[in-house]
Amino acid sequence: MTVDLEERSLMLPETVEGALAARLDGATILAGGTWLMRAPLRRESITRALVSLQAIPGLGDIAIGTDRVRIGASVTHEALARSLAGIAGLEAVATAASGAANPAIRRVATVGGNLCTRDFAAADLLPAFLATEAIVELRTRAGAEQLPIAVFLDDRARYLTDTLLVSVILPRNLVASTHMRLPLRKAGDYPVAILSVARDRDRRLRFAVGSVEPVARRWHALEEALAPDRGDMPLDPERTAALAASCNDFKGRDGPEADGWYRRQVLPALARRAAVALARQEGIR
Amino acid sequence: MTVTLTINGSACRFTGDPMTPLVDVLRRERFLTGTKAVCREGFCGACTVEVDGMAVMSCLRPIGLLQGAAVTSIEAMSTGDGPLHPLAAALEAADVVQCGMCFPGMVMSLSSFLRDSPAPTRTDVKAAMAGNICRCTGYERIVDAVMEFVGHRQGVRS
Repeated sequence: MTVDLEERSLMLPETVEGALAARLDGATILAGGTWLMRAPLRRESITRALVSLQAIPGLGDIAIGTDRVRIGASVTHEALARSLAGIAGLEAVATAASGAANPAIRRVATVGGNLCTRDFAAADLLPAFLATEAIVELRTRAGAEQLPIAVFLDDRARYLTDTLLVSVILPRNLVASTHMRLPLRKAGDYPVAILSVARDRDRRLRFAVGSVEPVARRWHALEEALAPDRGDMPLDPERTAALAASCNDFKGRDGPEADGWYRRQVLPALARRAAVALARQEGIR
Repeated sequence: MTVTLTINGSACRFTGDPMTPLVDVLRRERFLTGTKAVCREGFCGACTVEVDGMAVMSCLRPIGLLQGAAVTSIEAMSTGDGPLHPLAAALEAADVVQCGMCFPGMVMSLSSFLRDSPAPTRTDVKAAMAGNICRCTGYERIVDAVMEFVGHRQGVRS
């Protein structure tokens, strides 16, 4: 269905191909709307042409298999949290989805919107997906393309010019994971720092940090520092915090809700908490 | 863009910018001013309404995505000249309503939550209220009133 308006149009195609064609014609993707609807408050204008993925069948589905979980781009945070609750190894993603923003936002904000909103540094799902080593599935003019999420985030602006993110795939090779976020009263519903940690079946640890820098990224320096400890279960919280302090290679971003130095400074404390939480997860197994 | 939907059970047609927030349609087109437009960024919860049975912030719902939707605002929670919705009555009876700006949103969030979670804990109630900010009253008193309402409702049922 296409409905034209003198000033603005919103297309609601029923196929991915239709949505991609609209995107290639310059339309902005409208997901849950929780970011775009606030454009006037940021003194930004909303483009004249928009395209929604809401009417495309399948993009709101979650398929949980034995070796992977496939999440459609239009899946809401609430639906994701509900579907992943209790799944071993995916605790970080479930916690990120159930703790982001507030309940009413979680009912409409989507996975695709969270991944594709380049200016939103405090997205909860990004570090959780990075720690999970998620794969993003894009649809291009040439067909389907799959990328590690870290590769996608490294060059997100370029990918989003001529592709459509249709799903996220989570490999089920983790034994435990956890997600820590630090909210502040003056930051409202946004966390000022986020840390996701996962341990895979080879006992390898993965750390990912969000909201500290403009784009979430893996904390490779800490992973390498802890590599000799990979056989240690549980992870020692004090040692993790000490290494997090000595390997802190983040450049905190300044924002109205927190200064950059503060975001950076709290990471060792989050690492300590994450180690405790991960140990708890592993103790349950 | 033309969108047809139902608002409080009545069929409605909207023609205009598809990015018009639902709260503006309710207040400016339908004169349903019980829904409050306060922060307009999804933080305060004063504009909460139900869309297809889910409590959402109407400031962040573009009307263009609501073709065929069923919207319920605070005005539909009672008949106007009849008794208040039981939750609204319980909150009023406990004297937790101060300026009233946040309360339509509080009632919409909590009534939806209590419908889906009939026997919540105090922690559950606080989590459900996480997106509803009140600058006048103590939150604990609101939670007290909700827990009393839940206890009374359970007593009536048993």
